[in-house]
Amino acid sequence: MAAYLKYLAERFALFIATIVISVTVVFIVPRLVPGDPLGAVFLSLAQMGGSMNATELVAEYTRRFGLDKSLWEQYISFLAQLLQGNLGYSIASFPSEVADLLRNSLPWTIGLLTVTTLLSWVIGSLAGAVVGWRGSGSRFLQALVPLALILYATPYYILALLLIFLFAFHWPIFPLSGNYSVTMTPALTLPFIADVLHHAFLPALSIVLVSLGWWFLSMRSLIGALKGEDYILLAEAKGLPERRILWRYAFRNALLPQATGLALSLGHVVGGALITEVIFGYPGLGWLIYNSIKGLDYPVIQGSVLLIILSVAVANFIIDIAYPLIDPRIRQAAPD
Amino acid sequence: MITHNKKLLIGLSILLLMVIVSIIGVLLTPPELRRTGSFLPRLPPGEEGGLLGTDALGRSVAIQIVEAILKSLLVGLIAAALGTFLGALIGFSAGYFGKLIDAVLRVFIDVFLAVPSLLFLILIASLMRGVALPAVALIIGAFAWASPARQVRGQVLSLKERAFVQLSRLSGMSGLEIIFRELMPNMFQWLGANFVNAFIAAILAEAGLSLLGLGPQNDITLGMMIYWALGYGAILQNLWWWWMAPVFALIALFLSLYLIHLGLDEVMNPRLVVRA
Repeated sequence: MAAYLKYLAERFALFIATIVISVTVVFIVPRLVPGDPLGAVFLSLAQMGGSMNATELVAEYTRRFGLDKSLWEQYISFLAQLLQGNLGYSIASFPSEVADLLRNSLPWTIGLLTVTTLLSWVIGSLAGAVVGWRGSGSRFLQALVPLALILYATPYYILALLLIFLFAFHWPIFPLSGNYSVTMTPALTLPFIADVLHHAFLPALSIVLVSLGWWFLSMRSLIGALKGEDYILLAEAKGLPERRILWRYAFRNALLPQATGLALSLGHVVGGALITEVIFGYPGLGWLIYNSIKGLDYPVIQGSVLLIILSVAVANFIIDIAYPLIDPRIRQAAPD
Repeated sequence: MITHNKKLLIGLSILLLMVIVSIIGVLLTPPELRRTGSFLPRLPPGEEGGLLGTDALGRSVAIQIVEAILKSLLVGLIAAALGTFLGALIGFSAGYFGKLIDAVLRVFIDVFLAVPSLLFLILIASLMRGVALPAVALIIGAFAWASPARQVRGQVLSLKERAFVQLSRLSGMSGLEIIFRELMPNMFQWLGANFVNAFIAAILAEAGLSLLGLGPQNDITLGMMIYWALGYGAILQNLWWWWMAPVFALIALFLSLYLIHLGLDEVMNPRLVVRA
């Protein structure tokens, strides 16, 4: 128990360090990099025809954003604002707060990524187990391995492009972009839900197919490694049906490392498929970041990045504290 | 050693083939054909459009793709070299000096392993609009040190306790001498494997940044090719040759690099081969 408490304290310290260090990087980086966000904004305003006393406005904004204070003071007020959940205002869509924009995008990203992560994990693990168990016996099953390898090696947004071309353009079965038809009003009705699923299908399929490859390959090698274990041999010697040995003996033992992988990738749900959203015009966090980059909206980019960092840190911390409870071997071994 | 591993052999062959074809292609291209409007726009592959057709701006896709492959590889090379070098330096310091230095560096390594570096890259690149290719490569490299650092640290920790290192310490070698004459030579294969990983990650990061609109605006990389193609609505206009060329080049590139990575793994851990 004492060992677990010490381990907990260490993990908590790392959790805090993760947040402090990455928030500091987020704070420092824009101040080190050559480039002037305010100047850029006014330039783009001027290009759109806004005439104004730019120098006075820049001075006013510099004062208002506290850019005339010392670096240390800026840092402290930056942290204070963050602690209150205040991420500032969007520049491109000015009166909106960054936090509100994030709140609107987040559900779409989390919904899409949670469902696809779970689906690909289940399908990939089951298929990987079957192929790992009797792969050498069947040509067809063997052929799945290079396929999975290609899927795993492919960047996740590449498949998205191919799917859009095939199933939204060439055969227009699915919509090209968006999260629901513009003619629809969001409501918990059957047609609306069907419309949302219709729009989410292709983005989801592209993510599922690509992440499938990894789960498949790792489960296959886990099962393959278990094959020669004594308890499997014993089960075979007892004459148990093969199906039972695979699912009750081998699969259950391979599940633990596979579940860790699942937990880790669930931690990356928020920032997991930014570019897929860009390609499908799916209004999640990735789409928000993409549009903020186009609109020179630095506060929104920064807010999104901070949100993703925070969610990754929290998820890692939860996995760290939960894992020893699931796997007693880790609880007893002094964690390094 | 290399010829005995099928994965390594296939991966290297694909990669070499792509590089050689690209270099020949770039060398054979007269500079005036690189400009926009050198060809009629939107020609499909074939007689008039050339091998891979032309894009909406009247450039040959074939001419762009060979240059893009080399530029993407260049970004990967610079970034991976920087990342591996920084990683080796940090990992070495942590592993060799131990104590407080190790404790502090370990926290940093863990933090930068946990947080996806694409996030920091987005932040920096979005402030430095219109960055050139070397800058993109350096930014990516500057955030690619965490994984090699962890590997190198672990390796140094285990090497440090081996008999030959302790012997050289007893025989009066200085710290630096031990690092360079005893430890470094044993690290090369690890650094090699790390380099391939960093290379893959860097090319991936460049393509990702480019698709978000943060790539090297005046250069043509595979990511930038897709970015421009999408920006001009290549999918909707059915200019499939324009966006498919960089897409399949990327797939081939990643497949070859991944095979090399797997092959190197097997060469270094012979136990893996027996099982597979």
